[in-house]
Amino acid sequence: MKIFRVLAKTLTAYSALVAAGVFAFAVVVTFIVSAFRGVEISAWNVVTSQIARWFLLWVGVYVIHNLLPIAVAHGRTRREFLVAASGFSVVLALAMALVAWLGFVVEGGIYAVMDWRADEHGTPLAYFLMFLVWCAVGMFCAAAFDRFGAGGIFSVPVGLALAVVTTAGIPGSGNLPFIRNVPVLLGSGWHAVSVLAFLIALAGTWAVARDMPIRLRTT
Amino acid sequence: MRVDVQGLTVRYGDVTAIDDMSFSLSGNKIYGLLGRNGSGKTSLMSALAGYRRPIGSVRLDGEPVFENAAAMGKVCLVRHSADAADKGDKVSYVLEYGAAWRDTWDNAYALDLVELFKIPLKTKVGELSLGQRSALGVVIALASRSPLTMLDESHLGMDTPTRYAFYDALLNDFMAHPRTIIISTHLIEELASLLEEVVIIDNGRLVLQEEADVLRSRGTEVTGNAADVDEFTAGLTVLSERSLGRTKAAMVYGSLDDEQLIRARQLGLELGPIALQDLFVHLTEPVGGKR
Amino acid sequence: MFDDRSPIYRQIADRIKADVLSGALKADEQVMSTNQYAAYYRINPATAAKAFQQLVDEKVLYKKRGIGMFVSAQARDMLRAQGRETFFGEVVDPMVAEARAIGIPLADVIRRIEQHEKGAV
Repeated sequence: MKIFRVLAKTLTAYSALVAAGVFAFAVVVTFIVSAFRGVEISAWNVVTSQIARWFLLWVGVYVIHNLLPIAVAHGRTRREFLVAASGFSVVLALAMALVAWLGFVVEGGIYAVMDWRADEHGTPLAYFLMFLVWCAVGMFCAAAFDRFGAGGIFSVPVGLALAVVTTAGIPGSGNLPFIRNVPVLLGSGWHAVSVLAFLIALAGTWAVARDMPIRLRTT
Repeated sequence: MRVDVQGLTVRYGDVTAIDDMSFSLSGNKIYGLLGRNGSGKTSLMSALAGYRRPIGSVRLDGEPVFENAAAMGKVCLVRHSADAADKGDKVSYVLEYGAAWRDTWDNAYALDLVELFKIPLKTKVGELSLGQRSALGVVIALASRSPLTMLDESHLGMDTPTRYAFYDALLNDFMAHPRTIIISTHLIEELASLLEEVVIIDNGRLVLQEEADVLRSRGTEVTGNAADVDEFTAGLTVLSERSLGRTKAAMVYGSLDDEQLIRARQLGLELGPIALQDLFVHLTEPVGGKR
Repeated sequence: MFDDRSPIYRQIADRIKADVLSGALKADEQVMSTNQYAAYYRINPATAAKAFQQLVDEKVLYKKRGIGMFVSAQARDMLRAQGRETFFGEVVDPMVAEARAIGIPLADVIRRIEQHEKGAV
């Protein structure tokens, strides 16, 4: 519980702050664009559907690569840490989905006042599931590289496969390089597939990090 | 805290860092872990701290340490660089981790030490000097007040006054809060008087474990006429010999009995003590121990 | 501070004995605690305790439970007697040997000692 508290308190607050900053930036950019041409898409949708998931992936990497060794150095077991990190990934994804939804509400208000047009965006549930899986994939890949060095490369195609399924429910997020229009492939069962992808990424993280040696850091 | 190591082996790929090592520490003493570079000191301490899964067994107060929350919470190991710190974290943040995650952490003491070592709280760990980073490691280790506290080369880069401040802090805190402290060091001479017991390892194997004072009394330097020295040392464990003209000095390992002392006097040999550091050098020398 | 050669506890014991002999430590005076000694000399407290134990065994110090260590009443006389026993063997004989080695006639040495006796040096 102690580890969870630290993760939730510091990282969630940090992530929300970053999101707020990015939102303000997106609004400013929209106003600048509006000076030259008509606004036809939601800037916040670009942020949430494309950029935000990479941020969540990075948080996942940070949690395992940076914080797990520190927790062990402070006398915590990997098991304690992984329990906390698993719970934290859910809380963070929820919080960020909430932030995304809030952003759409505020942006919707601004767009209505300015009489701009926004394109379609995903539901909070879709964002939650996407963030959840990307965060877990970040943890999984970080664990694999930390443990196996360059051999951890095996985690990349696995992570990619797990990550793309989550984009099904979010307009504008299904196109990854080389993989076009995943949503069409999955059809209506994407909720269950996303949850399954999260569980697989989490199980992979546990399997790799459960008895991982803590290497000397070159700080 | 009692430490029991039984058949411990640590391997990295084909390299065996610790080779089937067994020993016990009765605890609540300051131990010196001495060994040359690559002898396996860091690997041994990493296994004691649960940093890696041991082959063989590592028990703290009878409990296996690896992934055992109860035992892990009582151990602290700080290796060369501060393990418990991230390059990008401010010093104050590093202390917050300790306060948040360690049950035994003493934050007031941590702040005292930070002031003693003049570590700037608002600076990022990556921007500290080598000496300050080492000092931060010492702060983390001492303020953890862990029943088993291990410091691996923690004086690295510290200047002499800082090292002495460290020795004083270590000693005073040990007396106020007795616990098991294991220190690895190359500055044996400086630290020797603080150690109660010494564990010497070489090539991943235990060379000896002995009370520091007993070990000191085991070594004798025999100086005199070369022929007489040779006669006297025949049958004894000679660690090293040096000759200067007809004079010869031999380092002998092992206690001398009264008969031998009388014989030495008869032969006109001079018997002198050997520093811990010299004993260490010769006990860990490559095969033969002659130079 | 210590030569890191002969056991430190013996060096400490010798130092305390020297203090008793010189009168710096008086009979029934309390000696610093093990921890004070350890901190002052930067040595392991177990080592300091060992020195004290040796002095208790030799009856130079005595222990008052819960209070500390004290110089025993007979300590100074006892140490002086021990010193007298070994004085000629450990101090005078080596001095004579040294005088001979560097070519000072023993008569000169004796004359010097007589001057000390008269208080002329």
